[in-house]
Amino acid sequence: MSLQIWIDGIFAGSVFAIIALSMTIVYQPTRIMNFAQGEGFVLGAALGYQFIGVWHWPLYKAVIGLIIAAIIMGFIMERMIMLPVQLSGSKFAWIIATLAAALIFQSLFNIKWVNVTFSYFDFIDKNISIGDAKLSIQKLIVIIFMFIVYAANEFFLKKTLWGRSIRAIAHNGDTSTILGIPTKPVIKMGFIVGTVVIAAVGFLAAPVIIVAPAAGLFYTIQGFTAGIIGGVGSAKGAVVGGLTIGILDSVVRSWLGGTWGLFSTFFVLALILILKPNGFFGKRVEGR
Amino acid sequence: MISTYKGLNRLLMAGTVLGVALLYAFPLLAKTTENPTFYLQIVSVACFSAILTISLNICMGYGGLLSLMHTGIQMMGGYALGILMVKKGWNGWLALVMSSVVGSIFAILVILLSLRATYLYFGMITLAINLIAMETVRQGGELTGGYNGLFGIMAPGIPDGIMSANTLYVTVITILIIMYIVQRNLILSGFGRNTMALRESSETATALGISPNMHRLKVFAVSGAIAGLAGGLLSMQMGYAIAEIGDMGNGLIFFVGLFLGGVGTLAGPILGVALVAVIDFSIRGTAQYRTLILGAILLGTMIILPRGIVGTYRASRYGSPRSREVMPGEADDYHLDIAVKNVTKGEVLLEATDVVKHFGGVHAVDGISVQFKAGEVHGIIGPNGSGKSTLISALTRYHELTSGSVKLLGAEADKKPYKVARNGITRVFQIPHLFERVSVLDNVLTGMYRRDNYNVFDAIFRTPRYRKANSRSVAEAKALLSLAGMLGMEELAAGSISHGQKRLLEVIRAVATEPKILILDEPATGLTQDEMHSLTSLIRTLAAGGMCVVLIEHNVAFLMDLADIVTVIQSGKVIAEGTPQAVQKDERVLEAYLGNTDFSKELA
Repeated sequence: MSLQIWIDGIFAGSVFAIIALSMTIVYQPTRIMNFAQGEGFVLGAALGYQFIGVWHWPLYKAVIGLIIAAIIMGFIMERMIMLPVQLSGSKFAWIIATLAAALIFQSLFNIKWVNVTFSYFDFIDKNISIGDAKLSIQKLIVIIFMFIVYAANEFFLKKTLWGRSIRAIAHNGDTSTILGIPTKPVIKMGFIVGTVVIAAVGFLAAPVIIVAPAAGLFYTIQGFTAGIIGGVGSAKGAVVGGLTIGILDSVVRSWLGGTWGLFSTFFVLALILILKPNGFFGKRVEGR
Repeated sequence: MISTYKGLNRLLMAGTVLGVALLYAFPLLAKTTENPTFYLQIVSVACFSAILTISLNICMGYGGLLSLMHTGIQMMGGYALGILMVKKGWNGWLALVMSSVVGSIFAILVILLSLRATYLYFGMITLAINLIAMETVRQGGELTGGYNGLFGIMAPGIPDGIMSANTLYVTVITILIIMYIVQRNLILSGFGRNTMALRESSETATALGISPNMHRLKVFAVSGAIAGLAGGLLSMQMGYAIAEIGDMGNGLIFFVGLFLGGVGTLAGPILGVALVAVIDFSIRGTAQYRTLILGAILLGTMIILPRGIVGTYRASRYGSPRSREVMPGEADDYHLDIAVKNVTKGEVLLEATDVVKHFGGVHAVDGISVQFKAGEVHGIIGPNGSGKSTLISALTRYHELTSGSVKLLGAEADKKPYKVARNGITRVFQIPHLFERVSVLDNVLTGMYRRDNYNVFDAIFRTPRYRKANSRSVAEAKALLSLAGMLGMEELAAGSISHGQKRLLEVIRAVATEPKILILDEPATGLTQDEMHSLTSLIRTLAAGGMCVVLIEHNVAFLMDLADIVTVIQSGKVIAEGTPQAVQKDERVLEAYLGNTDFSKELA
């Protein structure tokens, strides 16, 4: 098996891992698996295309624009999801609400960008050669970004007061409020940070992979799959799960052809759910 | 004089009849417009949506299983019909039946795969499977027509040939009405009660002897069959099957309909879908905004009308039933034989030997041997954390034993908690575990389901077997309720009665399972004096009938008054056992458990 397949796998795996990480960031304080998370990925790709591909903005301007847009999206998403969840009282409220939010964003993207795939150009159009395999700088940035997000999240959760608040809220929201933890702002922040992270990876990866306006749900599911394989709520699990499905997909794809990559991913998912229902690093999930 | 509730119900009934008549007469109305086929098609498509939403309502609203693959099942049903008709030349009606069978099998396979998944994962797995199913038919080559879909499906005539648009329309309406009746009959039967019991609390359902996995499988199979049928009909009407039918974006409409109408209500799906169809029709000029508008309606409904239209009505002053007045002498109509069958008084029902349960380093139960005998009230006391509840969980197999053995009627007890329940041990939990959204009567009936000797098909078709079993169960349930002084409250939602009544109802429900051993975990907590008396007399009656009642209590006076034999537990070990009088005098109990002398005086 050639080295190139492994490099491509690690790159794709890093993308899935960051998606899973951003979902973990939202999950930690809310216990919600956000079906609308993948729409942030599309936002990043779409704005990259619009700012750089169409309007030819300089990179710094595009990045600032993207961050502002992602913050706004995270803020809106929090209201769209948490309001129904708090008011409805149904056990399924969060799934239905996040799904509805996903479809609303998806249709907005579909209305704004008709028949477009968001590919523009590589920011840095250079390759590193490893033997006869090539790794573009663009892909390397994504891989490094994944480790940065992971490390930052771990540091934040374990070493800061804010991180401890998140873990307390995850355990019991009402008690945390009584203890004086600002529950609602922490949840808002979770959505905003999660959206910024996933929009960033959409922005970075879109030049290399094909992203369509309606692709959000697909990336959500890839992130979920990674999360479930690794264990929901675990950052380490998100990274391991993401890399697992990325490499698996790449290897199987080169071996049996495109669709089989997708099938193999879900096959592993099914296997994990039967043999180890809580994933590699997950605790038993009670959910909301 | 009839109550407002009954009057409104009659009004609603009349409205339903009128609605059905209008639906059947619609082709005549449509004829007067320029494009009758167009209008007929809109109504038929709404009917398919309603059928699918009914299927979603059964598994999600009543069963608590969130499926995101119902559009996928619908697509599979469509392809099953298409392949059998177009490629294999089958008769259309037979193919339609097969589309339902395929939907059911597909659903069963998925649930077998995901039985161990918690509900959080379940939604996700179904969504992933939906994607796989769509991808599979796209890659299906000649058989499925690949990306272009499968064309050339004709609606079959009766008995053969091609059906006219009008006949197809009437057929679709009729099938929708049949599906509504199927839903109603299922939900109002023991099948539906068990389904709701599982939704409310899987743990409690298990304590009543319901097998969670087996029943979930049945619920999903029924739901899949209806969804497959909806898919077959849809493809029949459209003339093709295509992967996009399975798309989640198309599935949004069902969730909107279900939430708008009311999740877990009988009429909700139909009312909701009808409303969505009207909305859909009025925005037909702006197709690209459809998902946006539907999504916004869904979120809005969840915020403003969380229970949906029907649910809000049912919860309101006008739509919810009251307790009725009991006719004088009515209680005499219900006779009840609570004698436990095939048991002689004093016979050892359960024998536990050296039961040990460790949680890591915590020795919660550390070698307890105990015997429960027929016709006895057996008290278990001990300080908080002494291992009483753990012992009960170990005996009823909610916990796996670290070591030791449990014998039930001389044979080794089964490892599965619901089987232990079926073999005659029922427990009532420390905190009330009623099915709150279900009526008082249905709560008791759920406890009786083991005696209902009818199956799903009996329930759907309301066969004589079902009718007989059902009327017998209802009479027995009323007899039990009258024993607890709760006659007249049958129709109330269990969540709306007082705390003491809830506890009594829970005991009644447990008795309804016809247990040989009834375990009550702190039943007297929070009861008023009167309720305490009802409970005492109920327990005495049960024990007199040969039942073994195991009482775990902190209320020492209550316990000592009732119990024939008392076991005292401390730190996971038995420190004393005997009659209440003997235990009260036991030195070790006085010193180790009761500790201070003031308390021992109170006891003595």
